[in-house]
Amino acid sequence: MYVYRIMLFLVFGGYLLSPLLMSGWASPEVAWYRPFVIWGVLIALTLWLEQKRKLDER
Amino acid sequence: MNASLGGLLALGSGYLLLLFLGALAIERQWIPTRIARHPVVYTLALGVYASAWAIYGSLELAGNAGYGYLAYYLGVAGAFLLAPVLLVPIQRMTRTYQLASLADLFAFRFRSRWVGTLITLISLLAVLPLLALQVQTLGDTIALLTGTARPALLALLFCALIALFAILFGARHTRLHARHDTLLAVIALESLVKLTAMLTLGAFALFVVFDGPADLQAWLDGPGRAAQLGIAQLDPAQWRTLLLLFFAAAFLMPHMFHITFAETLSRRTLLQAAWSLPLFLLLMALPVPLILWASQRLGVDAGGLGTAYLAYGLSESLWLQGVVFIAGLAATSGTMIIISLALSGMILNHLVLVAHPPVDQPDLYRWLRWLRRALIVAVILGGWLFYRLVGVNHDLTTLGLAAFIGIAQFLPGMLALLYWPGANRKGMVSGLTAGGLVWLAGTWVPLLSDIPALVLLPPGLEVLAGEPVWYVVTLVSLAANILTLILVSLITPTSAGERAAAEACSVDAVIRPKRLPLVAGNGEEFKHHLARALGEEVASREVDRALTDLGLSPLDGRPYALRRLRDRIQANLSGLMGPSVAQDIVDRYLPYRRGGLEPNDDVQFVESRLEAYRTRLTGLARELDGLRRYHRRILTRLPVGLCAFGADDELLMWNDALAELSGIEGNSVIGARRDGLPPPWEALLGRVLLEHHDHLYKQPVTLDGTTRYLSLHKAALEVDEEVRGGTVILVEDHSEMKWLEDELVHAARLASIGQLAAGVAHEIGNPVTGISSLAQNLRYDTDDPEVLESATQIQQLTDRITRIVESLVGFAHGGRHVTGQPFAPVPLANLIDEALHLIHLARSREDIHYHNRCPAGLEVKGDAQRLLQVMVNLLGNARDASAPGGEVTIDAAPQDGWLHVTVTDQGHGIDEWVRDHLFEPFTTTKPPGEGTGLGLPLVYSIIAEHGGQIDIDSPPPGQAKGTRINLWLPLNPEHGECTDEPDPDR
Repeated sequence: MYVYRIMLFLVFGGYLLSPLLMSGWASPEVAWYRPFVIWGVLIALTLWLEQKRKLDER
Repeated sequence: MNASLGGLLALGSGYLLLLFLGALAIERQWIPTRIARHPVVYTLALGVYASAWAIYGSLELAGNAGYGYLAYYLGVAGAFLLAPVLLVPIQRMTRTYQLASLADLFAFRFRSRWVGTLITLISLLAVLPLLALQVQTLGDTIALLTGTARPALLALLFCALIALFAILFGARHTRLHARHDTLLAVIALESLVKLTAMLTLGAFALFVVFDGPADLQAWLDGPGRAAQLGIAQLDPAQWRTLLLLFFAAAFLMPHMFHITFAETLSRRTLLQAAWSLPLFLLLMALPVPLILWASQRLGVDAGGLGTAYLAYGLSESLWLQGVVFIAGLAATSGTMIIISLALSGMILNHLVLVAHPPVDQPDLYRWLRWLRRALIVAVILGGWLFYRLVGVNHDLTTLGLAAFIGIAQFLPGMLALLYWPGANRKGMVSGLTAGGLVWLAGTWVPLLSDIPALVLLPPGLEVLAGEPVWYVVTLVSLAANILTLILVSLITPTSAGERAAAEACSVDAVIRPKRLPLVAGNGEEFKHHLARALGEEVASREVDRALTDLGLSPLDGRPYALRRLRDRIQANLSGLMGPSVAQDIVDRYLPYRRGGLEPNDDVQFVESRLEAYRTRLTGLARELDGLRRYHRRILTRLPVGLCAFGADDELLMWNDALAELSGIEGNSVIGARRDGLPPPWEALLGRVLLEHHDHLYKQPVTLDGTTRYLSLHKAALEVDEEVRGGTVILVEDHSEMKWLEDELVHAARLASIGQLAAGVAHEIGNPVTGISSLAQNLRYDTDDPEVLESATQIQQLTDRITRIVESLVGFAHGGRHVTGQPFAPVPLANLIDEALHLIHLARSREDIHYHNRCPAGLEVKGDAQRLLQVMVNLLGNARDASAPGGEVTIDAAPQDGWLHVTVTDQGHGIDEWVRDHLFEPFTTTKPPGEGTGLGLPLVYSIIAEHGGQIDIDSPPPGQAKGTRINLWLPLNPEHGECTDEPDPDR
């Protein structure tokens, strides 16, 4: 359940801060693939939490 | 574009034919089931979310709003990230109550068919633009590639093929809530095609149009920058609103709800999708900006082609355009198939069956199946018509947003369903109506005509004037929806049925159903009652199915089992014809019996639910549940029989010790009424429950053909607000104690007889001595040979009487050993002779032959009388076990300072299970009444007193049957040598 709280925090935090993702579209300082990298990191984090949850439920 | 109409038709038809073949391969199991059921297949099937919007609409949105197009993917990714707290509870409900659609779920929760009907109508209206969007992309690309003037007819042809596929592989089962492996695998295949096509296009853009990532970045920083600066970025508030819309669509869109919840998949698979679906969507989203930028670099005419179809401008080559077309067709067909299946089920359950209940249908299953197929065709045709009449006038974004805003109206209700048990049906209907009307007036109706969007901004929201219509409509409709839902729910009363359903649906509540008795008394009666509504055949099949699901017998009459059977039938019927109709049928034809005692909580059911919820409990609740389980285990493992009855005489507990004593498993009787228990428990427990005494001692009961004596003690469970009433009963088995008491009485009687016999023997001794003396005198007084012979015989007979009397007196005195008295040397051969002599006195089984092979001169140290008792007992047992004419042999030989004595018979032997307990009191192989079971324990005890050992071989080594008793006794060191050969027939 504590893992679920981390997920809730991540999702709502991400929801509020997500407009920052969009600012790089026309900005030369930011690589075009930055949103996808952040997204990939989030997926990796979720995968890690999912493994942790499996261990918790054993 | 240069594709021919025939070529395009061949490509499209070929792709759909490939789908048919794929489906056939899975159905015929040419592809192994483990592949078809792999979790990756489920993740890919969830990719049905990526509809034509993902292929074309995203490009259009990226061209208009930059990274704003990501909202479509990130919204659904967020919803799946929250799977454990959002999707898993919904999955649990839909599985438990066999709810196949959103309308089923809401109708079940709010106990209202009107809620289900309203949800269905709004879903239908919302999905029509989405269906039209799919068909429109088909029509547009056909027109684009072939230049034909009548793309709509060709689109209709593709729609017909898609409908045929949906009917063949999605509507074969009558039940909506069933796993369709074929369908799931085909949708997964379509997702794989979409993904491969998009990645191919992205790679083409990045490595063919651009010269790799560095070249792309250089172009973006240089020549391409001007084009990017022209793209208006979404306002953060609009972005968040867009995210919210797609978040809601992830699990509220009919096709997403269908794949996620109606296809019965495991919780583990759903949780795995929390990261695997976002990964799939990431890969789908990645090529979109690449395609856009590549087309900008190539200078593709966005005005002529349409931003949504820029991918077709990347190259003139047919294969690349074919890839784009197939990607679009895969997205379109998958979405349309699942939407048509999901919507047809909703329309069937909440419009058709509500208006025309299926009572008295001669072949219900067939009727439902054909109705559903007709509805599938109607839904797809409706989408095509909407495209022809309305969709052609709008771009993809407008159509898509109209659909997503409509679906978002279910979000407040869904959150209330999961987290607010206070919400009621009036609030739900009012909120949905308010939000739905704002949506219709602001977005949907303007699609149909040129009427401008009608959105009335409430006071305080004037700041929204001038913002995009979709944004204003979303905010106002959701605000109206939420406020109305809360206000109306707070000021209107909630029915008891709704409260119960709210508890069943709420994430943190545990359902507490009541123990109400049913009118029907067993499964067979259920069939009889249901036949009036469903017909005999369907009723029989449904009841049998529910019985099989629960593993119950048709004749099981336990009230608890019948309540579970009723619930299961309702859930199964819900999967067949929706929760509203199912509830009506079950309430009407399988009613509860009213009256009598105030119903109590169904403790057994509550406990089973708590067991199922265990992994979800945290903190204090988890600790309390741990304590509950611990206390329950104490009662279950208590080494004394325990059972508990509710105030209505329903059995609530039957612990392990009682199960062992009675031979009745707890699971087979818990939930039964006391008068439904098997004999003799019904009468026995009835006696203790009905009598005023709290204790019944040593009640004789026949269990497994033997009489046992049970003591029962009862205590009432006090009734107050917190504690449920009833009675707890302890059952103690006092049989052994009763036998011990009887044996003690018997032993006392034997002891008194022994004393009497000893006295009588003593009294006999004197006259016998007199007779012997007289006979001696007679021999002196006569020379007559006949008289001398008679006198000699008289003396021999009196000697024999004397030996008998001495043996009897000795045996009577031999039962007790005086502690501390030193052991004396005992000649073993003589001891055995004396024992044989006593055995012969019994005059029973005189045809047994005894062979004393003990060599003369062997002596042991011990108490002669007690050792005599040992031999008498062993020889008596050997005699009793032997067949007529049998032989019993006694051997003895010195062995390492011990005397090894064996008594061997050729009798029936001893069973293995008895052998381990032979030296325990009251263990006997003899028929009832013939053996006390005390002989061998006494032997064991005497041998132990002598420091010896005893062992049993049955059968003895080298013999087919029989028994050998081995004794090891301490050898007398002074006279322990064998002096002569044994006399075989002594």
